[in-house]
Amino acid sequence: MDEALMKERVEQMVDVIMKNCLWQFHSRAWDRRDQNEGILTKTMQLLCDERVVLETPADRCYWVDAVWLADEYRARFDWLSGLSKDDIKVLMKALHERMDFLMIDGSLNLELTDQHY
Amino acid sequence: MFCELKEKSRVGTINPIFTCQPCGAQFASIGIRDSIGIVHGGQGCVMFVRLLISQHLKESFELASSSVHEEGAVFGATRRVEEAVDVLLMRYPHVRVVPIISTCSTEIIGDDIDGVCNKLNEGLLKEKYADREVHLIPIHTPSFIGSMISGYDLAVRDFVKFFARKGEPNGKINLITGWVNPADVTAMKHLLAEMQVDATVLFEIEAFDAPLMPEGNHVAHGDTTVEDLIGTANAVGTIALNRYEGMKAAKYLENEFGVPAIIGPTPIGIRNTDTFLAHLKALTGKPIPQSLVEERGRAIDAITDVAHMFLADKKVAIFGAPDLVIGLAQFCLDMEMRPVLLLLGDDNSSYGDDPRIKELQEHVDFDMEIITNADLWELDRRLKDGMELDLILGHSKGRFVSIDNKVPMLRVGFPTYDRAGMFRHPVLGYAGATWLAEQIANTIFTDMEYKGIREWSLNVW
Amino acid sequence: MPYHEFECSKCIPERKQHAVIKGPGEQLTDALPQGYLNTIPGTISERGCAYCGAKHVIGTPMKDVIHLSHGPVGCTYDTWQTKRYLSDNDNFQLKYTFASDMKEKHVVFGAEGMLKQNIIEAFKAFPHIKRMTIYQTCATALIGDDLHAVAQEVMDELPDVDIFVCNSPGFRGPSQSGGHHTICIAWFKEKVGTFEPVREGEYIINYVGEYNIQGDQYIMEDFFERMGITVNSTFTGNGSYDDLRAMHRAHLNVLECARSSEYLCNELRVKYGIPRLDIDGFGFKPLGDSLKKVALFFGIEDRAQKIIDEETARWQPELDWYKARLQDKKVCLWPGGSKLWHWAHCIHEEMGVKVVSVYTKFGHQGDMEKGIARVEEGALAIDDPNELEGLEAMETLQPDIIFTGKRPGEVAKKIRVPYLNAHGYHNGPWKGWEGWVRFARDIYNAIYSPMHKLSKLDISKDEIPTTIGFETQRMLSDVNLSDEIKNNKELREYTGKWDCTRDLIKKPAPRSDEPQLAIAA
Repeated sequence: MDEALMKERVEQMVDVIMKNCLWQFHSRAWDRRDQNEGILTKTMQLLCDERVVLETPADRCYWVDAVWLADEYRARFDWLSGLSKDDIKVLMKALHERMDFLMIDGSLNLELTDQHY
Repeated sequence: MFCELKEKSRVGTINPIFTCQPCGAQFASIGIRDSIGIVHGGQGCVMFVRLLISQHLKESFELASSSVHEEGAVFGATRRVEEAVDVLLMRYPHVRVVPIISTCSTEIIGDDIDGVCNKLNEGLLKEKYADREVHLIPIHTPSFIGSMISGYDLAVRDFVKFFARKGEPNGKINLITGWVNPADVTAMKHLLAEMQVDATVLFEIEAFDAPLMPEGNHVAHGDTTVEDLIGTANAVGTIALNRYEGMKAAKYLENEFGVPAIIGPTPIGIRNTDTFLAHLKALTGKPIPQSLVEERGRAIDAITDVAHMFLADKKVAIFGAPDLVIGLAQFCLDMEMRPVLLLLGDDNSSYGDDPRIKELQEHVDFDMEIITNADLWELDRRLKDGMELDLILGHSKGRFVSIDNKVPMLRVGFPTYDRAGMFRHPVLGYAGATWLAEQIANTIFTDMEYKGIREWSLNVW
Repeated sequence: MPYHEFECSKCIPERKQHAVIKGPGEQLTDALPQGYLNTIPGTISERGCAYCGAKHVIGTPMKDVIHLSHGPVGCTYDTWQTKRYLSDNDNFQLKYTFASDMKEKHVVFGAEGMLKQNIIEAFKAFPHIKRMTIYQTCATALIGDDLHAVAQEVMDELPDVDIFVCNSPGFRGPSQSGGHHTICIAWFKEKVGTFEPVREGEYIINYVGEYNIQGDQYIMEDFFERMGITVNSTFTGNGSYDDLRAMHRAHLNVLECARSSEYLCNELRVKYGIPRLDIDGFGFKPLGDSLKKVALFFGIEDRAQKIIDEETARWQPELDWYKARLQDKKVCLWPGGSKLWHWAHCIHEEMGVKVVSVYTKFGHQGDMEKGIARVEEGALAIDDPNELEGLEAMETLQPDIIFTGKRPGEVAKKIRVPYLNAHGYHNGPWKGWEGWVRFARDIYNAIYSPMHKLSKLDISKDEIPTTIGFETQRMLSDVNLSDEIKNNKELREYTGKWDCTRDLIKKPAPRSDEPQLAIAA
């Protein structure tokens, strides 16, 4: 996958999250990082048919949002089925980085760094 | 003695009848043209009053806040007033009158709003708004004193005090209506017109009932001008229809400028309207015309249709603004009804001096209670304890007392948001007397039909 | 994403940071309005105070509690009967409000003694109510009354009562949101974990940030129950004080209005390990997806699917009837906080309307992030709007309808823009599938009101159509509709009842079937 195509696909995937999901909008930077990590990792595992660890309630909660997202990606993006697992991993890693940037590192939300809820 | 005047025995309030003083000052301030008040306090003190007024009148009115936040509450917030005045004047070029209305919080922290007004007059207004006429009027309305009623009374006094200037006699009378509906102003102006009496009305709020215009952007606002207020010092006399919502201003004009003051009685019912006309006649020397004799005759005709057949001996509880409650009680008595419970929602210690209350205490020949500092629980509890009532007269905040206890209620006073268009009907004057009598009757009729109590009697009425 | 400068606010340059227009391809990292900053005095902002945020928005929907405000009477009066949060406890929380009625002497000498008297009086007046919340106000905060000490003294004397103290005076924070925060944190610290739940079940949730406006909570609780999920507590609409003390026993926190109560879910997650799942209760797809997620958490997703299938089959033809008639209608979505993101995308997708502007009265940047993420390009997003900016925006954007509060709705009316009450709703509930159709119907009835059309006719200038005796909404809405849609037999108007929640209320109000008694003119 060349860089331009990957970027385009990442943006499409970001768009699905931004338009429909709420999990990425937790109010503090550390929560956003956990949410991105938890949900996008599990989404990647689901898309790659890997075993998803569901040991804790938190795992299950990440997982339900991941299931929704994986289903939505499969339904919306025909090109997904043509990708190898390695490609999906690369793509999901790029998505994860992009989400970390948009929601945390590049975010203009001044409340993310508050120390308390 | 049958009629007992006493203060509520509980210290707290369950379901209040009134809100606090700043609301009264805000309601007065929207009656003045080109006026936007700034309430110095937390934002809720404005936001909810604007909501309340818009619930009642189905209109929006402009009132600003100094938006006191935590730093202001701790370190003083007069700077917030300065900023608010500047921002308001920059963005509302037509504004001439800016009352600065204090609240409990800013009174407790001791913010000197008089000092701020002086400072702004000497500084900002001279420097930045030199070519503009702007009046800043400090109005002290701490919420822990009095109620919205006294807040209104104070504000009217403060406006008059601020503006009134001795000049040439203007031949007018000052009519201070008190806290009324647009239709009451119309009704009173009609009586003045029939009497050919020229008057300055405080406040001209008929436009509170604002039209929805094809070109849009029609904002409801009062029409009393700065010039009207200045001229109040030069009137033939002042009639304050309400003792508790206007007497202070009337007395001020009398003491300061020798303008004779007549206080009340609130012209609710035939008799009180007669008295109002007698006062007008005495002040101006104008005769009472035949047209009013006829108008009065039509009102009495209408009331006669319902009074002794349907209204006689019906037991009524009345709550709300004191002048309204007392006026309604008097009118109910004239219609042969029995106002057994009057609830006055604040702790004004002068109620006992009110000649109308004294008269009730002297002459009422059935058991009547007048509760001061009252809340709606005084009514609700009595009903739950078995008190029998045929009717409640009061405002919308008492709606569940009526609904849950199955006692019909005619909405009167402020606010009446749970019925459509009540502000469009007067309670004052002969027109008000007619409307009240007929609506009381209709309210009882509807109740008879739903409860199946002698509903057949209306077959041949 | 360029900042938008209002003409009317050019003289207060700091306002420029509070509005943006969402441009093509732009991201939240390009521009985001400032949010939740101190209000500029004198702007005629629409914000309320932190007391109302705590008491009126979050505290009072609790149904079995004496809500006592400690201060002058106004705060209590003003926040009473201005909302539509219902309960199955005969609406006790709507009907009764309590003020300690602080007077001048108390300011001077302190008001703790009379507060104690107040508490005892209130419990005596309502002997069946054993729970109370005391709300501090500006005045009692400033004189330094110790509400906790008084409450404790009463609890020591009356062991069967429990009292919660909320110290959220009006000045605490830039808007009502300060009060949401204060009461959530206080409830968590002082009450959660002090009571064991009365309800049992295999799958247990807390439903958080739901205020039962016009019965929304009844609808949602019914869905959860149909799936076999126990709603341990609802924070706070139709919620019970003791249930909410037992929040620590749920398996999952299902969070609706994150704006008002995410704090509580975050703390519950940290201390008790209960995960937080954010959901949307509005819109067919977002709601269906939300129910599926909750069910999936418990491994019972087929139960959610059953509800989705039934409800969709029942209501889709009705939603689509309205959707066909609301295409491209311009909406200003101007609520308080959470609805700007709950509704932004799904009214567009499911009702066909175009959101041309969103605003938040009292929200934070986080709300704007969500709202901007969900609206279409070109939308104008405004933080802490004021009267003139609202007017300017409506004049520029020419919306067909505005969703906002009651009073701003009156402003809109005067410039001939129909309004729906975004806080209290018109004919709600608006949650659930049926509720969503009711929302669509309310929009439709507002936009296509013949009276609205008549309001635009200037009889002094325009030609008066003298041959028309009346028009119906449908005559107006169908004028440019294709025959295919007009004659579509699958689609239909709303067929539910006027009061669609009556059957869901467990304890019907005593006089539920009797007509209004007092009908004045």
